[in-house]
Amino acid sequence: MTDPESPIVYIVDDDGAVREALEDLLSSVALGSRSFASVQEFVGAAHADAPSCLVLDVRMPGHSGMAFLAHMAEGSIALPTVMITGHGDIAMSVRAMKDGAIEFLTKPFRDQDLLDAVNRGIEIDRARRATAAETRHVRQLWEALSPGEREVARLVVRGLLNKQVAAELGLSEITVKVRRGNMMRKMEARTLPDLVRAFDRIHA
Amino acid sequence: MTRRLGNGLERGQAPRIALLVAAIAAIFAVDTVTNYAIAAAVFYVAVILLATRWMRPRSVVILASACGTLTVISFTLTHSGLYEVGIINTGISLVAIAVTTYLSLKLVAAEAAIHDARERLTRIARVTSLGELTASIAHEVNQPLAAVMTSAGACRRWLATDPPNIEKAERAAERIAAEASRASEVIARVRGLASGKSPIRAAFDLGTLVEEIVGLARGQIDRNDILLRLYLPEDLPRVFGDRVQIGQVIGNLLLNAIDAVMADPARGHEIEVIASLTQDGSSVALEVADSGIGFREQEAERLFDAFWTTKQDGIGLGLTISRAIVEANGGRIWAEESELDGAALLFTLPVAPVDGEEETGA
Repeated sequence: MTDPESPIVYIVDDDGAVREALEDLLSSVALGSRSFASVQEFVGAAHADAPSCLVLDVRMPGHSGMAFLAHMAEGSIALPTVMITGHGDIAMSVRAMKDGAIEFLTKPFRDQDLLDAVNRGIEIDRARRATAAETRHVRQLWEALSPGEREVARLVVRGLLNKQVAAELGLSEITVKVRRGNMMRKMEARTLPDLVRAFDRIHA
Repeated sequence: MTRRLGNGLERGQAPRIALLVAAIAAIFAVDTVTNYAIAAAVFYVAVILLATRWMRPRSVVILASACGTLTVISFTLTHSGLYEVGIINTGISLVAIAVTTYLSLKLVAAEAAIHDARERLTRIARVTSLGELTASIAHEVNQPLAAVMTSAGACRRWLATDPPNIEKAERAAERIAAEASRASEVIARVRGLASGKSPIRAAFDLGTLVEEIVGLARGQIDRNDILLRLYLPEDLPRVFGDRVQIGQVIGNLLLNAIDAVMADPARGHEIEVIASLTQDGSSVALEVADSGIGFREQEAERLFDAFWTTKQDGIGLGLTISRAIVEANGGRIWAEESELDGAALLFTLPVAPVDGEEETGA
């Protein structure tokens, strides 16, 4: 695989045979997976720091998959989720999609449909993780700036010229130029649009 | 639903009782003081009509008898007026009291029956002409089918790798075969239920069967941290029945117990399965007791009704079918409160006749 972070698929289904078959199918396309017999088990387990996707059965004793999906939608865990069910209806699939499921498959589903959905989920999670990492990085850069550089940055992104920034802060234009140069370098921004984008990330 | 079978006085009963007693006292006083020609006792009818709204049938009957007795006492205490008129009026009053009591109790019972029937109808309507039953069966069948199709996909992919991973493909194929037969078993079971086939009875060891069924549910039991205790004495005689059908009953009772225990996480997670010889030695009884949510006293008889369930997503057929099976196998099934503070379901099966002999009942 080209990606250094190998993705992992979590399977939550109370049926042992379905779990085993899903694990095997995923492993036949070189996707790693971990399966759980109940929502409780899944919640209790440690989750790998890797792009992930959740395959969740709707109907299980104890916590139902639907309830857990709704819980996730309002909570802190945000995994792209593929719902699978032994008997689904339109109302149920609508509810699942509203609660953020990326796909709703009725058993028995075509293996390719499941793999497509899972891959899509992994890509969504990968993108989400990349964005999160980027934001973290920009925030670190921002925190490394001196207070003076931050002041300059705030005015620059508002579109002020060096002269205007100098007037606003009561500094000489030379000082502003120096601070601006340092700030741009520390923020890893080559152009003003770069800086604005970075700014958006942390102040959105 | 407020059924008139509740125990003891409900709250708010006291003022009503006081009102009834006051009315009875007033009627008694008027009836006694006035002469024979005035049949004040007929007004006891009003008291009885009120009482049927508020009291249990048995209390109403007691009240009606009291009213009758008071009517007679009034008659003996009254001394003015024509005696014959008094006799006739008292007779009329007594008949009125009796007839009113009888009719109003009938009416109350009929109302309750209508209420029950309507509730059952609602449930059946909700099942929408077997729609939900089909959904339930579909779920049972689709589960193994999902495993089959997924395994088939995996198998194909293992064979398509270069070089083909024969070992993995073989294992997937084995899984396909196993799951396909699981699906066909479900269908056979459904067909068995639908055709109402008469049981194929033979002697078998109930304890062994219980252990097999428990083995099937083991995953679910362990996963939910349920403490399961089995009391299966080795010296029990073999029972006589359709082993497969009885297995279904045990499975059903066990799954019910698991559901009941899981329904309220705050309660203990305990299930006991106890086999014993009945007192007369003619049958073996099996008890499945749980520490779950149990059932209310008045529900005991309805547990076995079709389409009656306490489970949110149940359809209310499990125990109905279990009863049909147990009875077809010459046994009895009933529910009790369990010592674990939940429900206990018990059924009996006749002890198998000694090898090669006719059933002797011993």
